[in-house]
Amino acid sequence: MPLIEAKALTKRYGAHVTALDGLTLDVEPGIIGLVGANGAGKSTFIKILLGLLGPTSGAASVMGLDVTRQGPQIRQFVGYLPEHDCLPPDLSATDFVSHMGRMSGLPATAARERTAEVLRHVGLYEERYRPIGGYSTGMKQRVKLAQALVHDPKLLLLDEPTNGLDPSGRDEMLALVKRTGTEFGIATVVASHLLGEIERVCTFLLAIDNGKLLRAAPIASFTERTGTLGVEVEDGADALAARLSAHGLDARVEGRTVLVDAPDERPYDLVRDAIDELALSLVRLEHRRHRLEDLFRAEAPQ
Amino acid sequence: MTQPEGAAGTRESATGAIYDLGYQRYDGPRLGRRAAVATLFWASLRAAYALKRSGRAKIVPWGLAALLMAPAGVSVAVAALVPGAPQPFTYDDYLWNTQILLAIFVAAQAPELVSSDQRNRVLSLYFSHALERSDYALAKLGALAAAIFGLTLAPMLVLFIGRVLLAADVVDAFGNELEHLPKVILTPLIYAIPLAALSLAIAAYTPRRAYATGAIIAVFIVTAAIGGILGEAITTGPLGDLSQLLNPMVPIDGTRNWLVGESIPDSPVSETGFPLYLFGLEWLAIALIGTAVVLWRYRRVAA
Repeated sequence: MPLIEAKALTKRYGAHVTALDGLTLDVEPGIIGLVGANGAGKSTFIKILLGLLGPTSGAASVMGLDVTRQGPQIRQFVGYLPEHDCLPPDLSATDFVSHMGRMSGLPATAARERTAEVLRHVGLYEERYRPIGGYSTGMKQRVKLAQALVHDPKLLLLDEPTNGLDPSGRDEMLALVKRTGTEFGIATVVASHLLGEIERVCTFLLAIDNGKLLRAAPIASFTERTGTLGVEVEDGADALAARLSAHGLDARVEGRTVLVDAPDERPYDLVRDAIDELALSLVRLEHRRHRLEDLFRAEAPQ
Repeated sequence: MTQPEGAAGTRESATGAIYDLGYQRYDGPRLGRRAAVATLFWASLRAAYALKRSGRAKIVPWGLAALLMAPAGVSVAVAALVPGAPQPFTYDDYLWNTQILLAIFVAAQAPELVSSDQRNRVLSLYFSHALERSDYALAKLGALAAAIFGLTLAPMLVLFIGRVLLAADVVDAFGNELEHLPKVILTPLIYAIPLAALSLAIAAYTPRRAYATGAIIAVFIVTAAIGGILGEAITTGPLGDLSQLLNPMVPIDGTRNWLVGESIPDSPVSETGFPLYLFGLEWLAIALIGTAVVLWRYRRVAA
């Protein structure tokens, strides 16, 4: 049974705005990245899975349960982290997370115990007894993750989990997401417009654009090596490209970087020698990989 | 050789051993939708009384509760000190005479139950848990009605207990007062249901607490004022009488009069002279329309 299934899922707001346009997909458990530009339909898709929004047409199911008819059963096993603020400022994290645990059907004692565990898991300690209103953005994001985890969901839906975080906060949140997904095996959907984040934590990628599925594949297939060598030098990229072309290599300049086709080992020595002979300063030598950005760039003109 | 071990042990006991239990799976029971609704009901009831809230949040509900109890307490005290003194309040007119306190209570606490969930967008979390939108609406409505019921039942019980305990023959008095017990319990219920439906129907429409409070207060004070002015200006005639029906407290009192009690002298209900079931119909209309409006609002509100 697929974790998430959507068949010709369409959502229109009014007559003119189409958020989802015949989305059909089939997702197996894992850490799934849901990428797309702002307004591509990521949040709409997540809200339909939760039953927060009804689809205009088409159908979707989560763990085999229909989203429009079996909402409460689905939501009992789903944790949701919304992209917007959703915390009451006057309650403490402990009171709030435990309340949300009970809202998912946990008995009172279990809710209390799991609240303590889950707040420790997300890294909230003494501050958990203070009202949430006084928390930093990073702490609030942790509380949001904790309330999504408190009832041990089978599926986590995280909508822009790093929203508003500084770089170190982002790293910590992504590490938490990855750890939760891999160590504890909770199927996770991470919606983000930041491809770099998706690349770091996800195993599978769903790319949507204008409410349509652009591509669904394991993340590795997006980022595999391309057989292109990138050589970044301080100055003299043009000279280097000319020298390599003279040796019969396919070399082209892109800013300070010379891109060299490297179907085999031969170009490595040539590049090394050419840099040495031209006395250039080498900054970086790397295998070029497919970038997730290319996906959208290539499809954009359509 | 043993020293490092001992030192480590000391350090451990000095700071308390910390074990990373981390995240654990949960295999216990999941109680589902019914438990979620019950949780929301009890949490909202606690919020209505500001239990487990800051002292500042307690001022309004606790202050109003104290003010509402005071006449009953005084009444009992007078009866204890001056046996045979006339009772200043009856079960029939107690809540009618303290109605302004009830209006302030719902104006302050109905928004407390629903406005902040909308303002802080906690609503989208509730709706993504194991309950339906209508469950949320009904749990909040039930909690507010229960809060008003508890608040109004308390002084009625004080009157009741006072009358029993201060009588010469307690057992005999208990027997006599027992026939009033349905009135003691049903009168608060007759107040609680439409007050909850009406005030929540207003409060559910705005995330701004102050607006909701102002609107609810306005409904009670403005309608009472209109009824008063028109009643004075058009002393007789159907228009003056009909204007009395604008104030929601009037059909509440009329229904109480119809179902469980005596009429209050000089009250709008006794002055209009309408058949009492008419007030009962208006009472029912307020309760049903208020509930429908709340349900409709939560079907539509974005989460």
